[in-house]
Amino acid sequence: MSEDRKTQVLILDDEPIVWKRLKPALEKVGYEVEAFTQSSNAMRRVGEKEFDIVVTDLKMEGIDGMAFMTEVKKLSPRTEVIVITGFATMETAKESFQKGVFDFLAKPFKRGELLEIVKKAEAKVRQQEEK
Amino acid sequence: MSFFDKLKNRFTSGRGRRQRVPFVILFKTFQGLLEKNNKILDSIAAMGDKLGGDYVFDKNYILSSCQEMSDLVYKLIYDLDTIAPNKYLNLYDAFQRINHEIEEELAGRPIIAQADYVIPFETISRDSGDVVGGKIANLAEVNNILGVPAPEGFVITTTAFKAFMEYNGIWNRVREEPLTVKAGQEVRALVEQGSLPAELRRALQKSIEQLQLAAGDKKLLLAVRSSAWGEDGIHTFAGQFKSFLNQPVEKLVLSYKEVIGSAYSPSAIEYRRSKGISEDEVAMAVGCQVTVDAKVSGVLYTLDPTTPEREVMVINAVWGLGAPLVSGEVPGDRYLLNRTPPHEVEGLNVRHKVSMLAPKEGGGTEERPVPEELQMKPCLEREEMLRLAELALVIERYFKKPQDIEWALDKKNQFIILQTRPLNLQTQMANLVCNLTQAVQEYQVIFRGQGNIAQRGVGAGPVVIIRDDEDMEDFPAGAILVAKYTSPRLAKAVPKASGILTDVGSPTGHMATIAREFRVPTIVNVGPATKTLKPGQEITVDAEENVVYDGRVKELCYYEFTEEPFEESYEYRLISRVLKKIAPLNLLNPHEKNFAPEGCRTFHDITRFVHEKAVEELLNLEFHEKIMGASAKKIKLSIPLGLMVIDMGGGLEDSTEGREVKPDQVVSLPLKAVLEGMTTPGMWSTEPVPVDLGSFMSSLTRTFSSSLATPKYLGLNLAMISKEYMNLSLRLGYHFNIIDAYISKEVNDNYAYFRFLGGVTDLQRRSRRARLLAELLEAHDFRVDVRGDLVVGRIKKLNASGMIGKMKILGHLVAFTRQLDVTMVSDAEVESSKEYFDRLTTEAVAKRN
Repeated sequence: MSEDRKTQVLILDDEPIVWKRLKPALEKVGYEVEAFTQSSNAMRRVGEKEFDIVVTDLKMEGIDGMAFMTEVKKLSPRTEVIVITGFATMETAKESFQKGVFDFLAKPFKRGELLEIVKKAEAKVRQQEEK
Repeated sequence: MSFFDKLKNRFTSGRGRRQRVPFVILFKTFQGLLEKNNKILDSIAAMGDKLGGDYVFDKNYILSSCQEMSDLVYKLIYDLDTIAPNKYLNLYDAFQRINHEIEEELAGRPIIAQADYVIPFETISRDSGDVVGGKIANLAEVNNILGVPAPEGFVITTTAFKAFMEYNGIWNRVREEPLTVKAGQEVRALVEQGSLPAELRRALQKSIEQLQLAAGDKKLLLAVRSSAWGEDGIHTFAGQFKSFLNQPVEKLVLSYKEVIGSAYSPSAIEYRRSKGISEDEVAMAVGCQVTVDAKVSGVLYTLDPTTPEREVMVINAVWGLGAPLVSGEVPGDRYLLNRTPPHEVEGLNVRHKVSMLAPKEGGGTEERPVPEELQMKPCLEREEMLRLAELALVIERYFKKPQDIEWALDKKNQFIILQTRPLNLQTQMANLVCNLTQAVQEYQVIFRGQGNIAQRGVGAGPVVIIRDDEDMEDFPAGAILVAKYTSPRLAKAVPKASGILTDVGSPTGHMATIAREFRVPTIVNVGPATKTLKPGQEITVDAEENVVYDGRVKELCYYEFTEEPFEESYEYRLISRVLKKIAPLNLLNPHEKNFAPEGCRTFHDITRFVHEKAVEELLNLEFHEKIMGASAKKIKLSIPLGLMVIDMGGGLEDSTEGREVKPDQVVSLPLKAVLEGMTTPGMWSTEPVPVDLGSFMSSLTRTFSSSLATPKYLGLNLAMISKEYMNLSLRLGYHFNIIDAYISKEVNDNYAYFRFLGGVTDLQRRSRRARLLAELLEAHDFRVDVRGDLVVGRIKKLNASGMIGKMKILGHLVAFTRQLDVTMVSDAEVESSKEYFDRLTTEAVAKRN
């Protein structure tokens, strides 16, 4: 990944309010962001384009976040996945997802908290590529 | 061994043996009740935090928080019922009532508050949308908050609408789904034949008389306009409902019925069907505005929707009344003005105007010929265009969206705003901001993450640095206000500013409150803003992300336009609505009549009531004698604090007899230390104040308002103690303290918990007070958690003497904060109070040594 290529982020959450509030925050610090409410559309998109970072909710209508994450990792092992999920499902999430997830964040969270995690994930992605 | 086990042992081995089971259960219940009480208050504060804009949350969060809250409140009532069986059964009714309201809100069936049938415009507040309809609420808001001139008048509320429909037996008829066009026709006929309930008739008459009196005109003429529930929100219903101009008061009832009947016109029914709005949701308020004797009328778009990239606003204007222009019958003059001051004219299209609409003598309207000399003359002079442009941008900045404004220029040459609503530009704007990532990077960042956001939003404009004694009247509209300090003096300039930056200041300060009131994007405490920025320099304040850019970042401003403001989002509105049933505290004084289950209107009310009654029950003599063979005793203190104590074992000297105890008979380690801290001279405000502190104190007393200076005895102060344990509940002035502590030789068991919830003073002072407390607690090594005006401090695992030291500090704090309700008028006082407290504490230590 060259320096002038923007870090590509995909957000999937079936509650539009979540990505509506995250997208501008990420874009303004220089990420290129695509956001999806429908997991099927997001699934199609990751087949077309490789993202550096994927931010996804766990429990959604249709396919769940787990299936989505598995697919993302299969298509592109270098992509870092950040799971955002409701406080109640956090523990289950951590248990069943230990592998392959960059980090977890319980909803509700502050926008700054997610920005921090995305920044760390970005650093990792870049580091991996330098190797 | 847990504390409860220790307690149980004490009572199984000691004097409580006979009733050991009931006591342990009751005390445990009380402890559980306190825990729930705390959890509920925490949860209320946490939900309130979500309104601030920092958090990302979704509907699930709102649902689960409400569910959790509802469970807790129910269990809290149950706990009280265990302590005082069958005594407060009405609480279950109160719970059911409030819980039902919350569930209805969550299910999307908002309960429209009961309101007066008729409300004058000037008493409409931001929250009245439900009862006065969106259109009137918007207009009243710009008039009452921004001071933008609007017609006088009143609104016949949605409550009146329901009453009318029910009174005439139409209500059930219109709730048929789907409503056919034919049924709609029948409904309209029923509405027109219907009569007003007597109470509505009287209310209307009274409002008319008041308006006649205010206007000094018996022959009042009114514009009667629809203002439906939900209109001008997500759905505009543009042109769906009828309105009548220049109606004499005698015709008001007739016009009213025609306006509400128009809610059942074929086009309105079809509109609802296509938008998925249920017939249940129809609630029509009707605005009655005094006719404006307009010389010129028109419509202004603050951004030209056809070419938004040109950054011009469009004014359309005609002579006389604006109705023909609004309905599209005549085109009128068209002026294009640059959005940026000084608003250069970029296009002038003057039409040939031969006829105009004018109010008819005695009511109604008529067409009149335009005098020859005016036919080719522009309706507005350059100076008038400027005034209108500035007024329009004040409204736009407030609503954070381009606006579609109906206006009139009256015969006194004053602009009057008749209606304002957001201009839907989402599709056009999307093209302008296609690549925000790219766009933003072309601008240099001046500040990032410096300072605190006091009001969210984005604003751009030239920097105007305010020095000390400048006249705020001349502040140029649309500029960015940059100042060293936040100061109430700046308030005049705030509505004109498109953004505010200050070097120092707090997001809970006065300035921030005003910025929020006018919704001006504001970042305070930036540091070197006045040093770094040059007057006249164009900058963009992004108070969403806490960034200041060099230059005018158009893309960002447009992005704001396309974004749904957080405050308008469904989730924000939903959480604010449910919070209204949860957070406000109406039960303030236990001695007042409303302090009863029937008076509870929110979960907070129930929680407050239960806590008060639980403490009262524990203090109940009979209870203690029966259960414990002991009774509550009064501690005789040198300060005027009515403190009762219940000794659960080893907390008082064995020799204590009778109903009163002296402080030196207290053995309980935590209580002994807290009392010592509280009674330290100088800490309690009625103690003599050292001379050098006199001026400070007088500055405090100056700000005492009479109602707050003598807080009544507002509750019960109770300490439940053992040798090592203390649970202290205090209600001092208008705030409420709990200290829970355990001190023994076992370092690992030791803890102290301090909790403070503020009282009835305004929010700013409360949050200043919270900040002061937090800083003081932190300075003494407490782990501190602040939520709104709730402060919790915790400390644990110090050795006994360390813990005792901390308890003395808490004692100081309790005494000291007693005064704080009424002070904290400025941010500076937080600092001086801190110093004052430190001095008192140091002096106290010196005296003890």
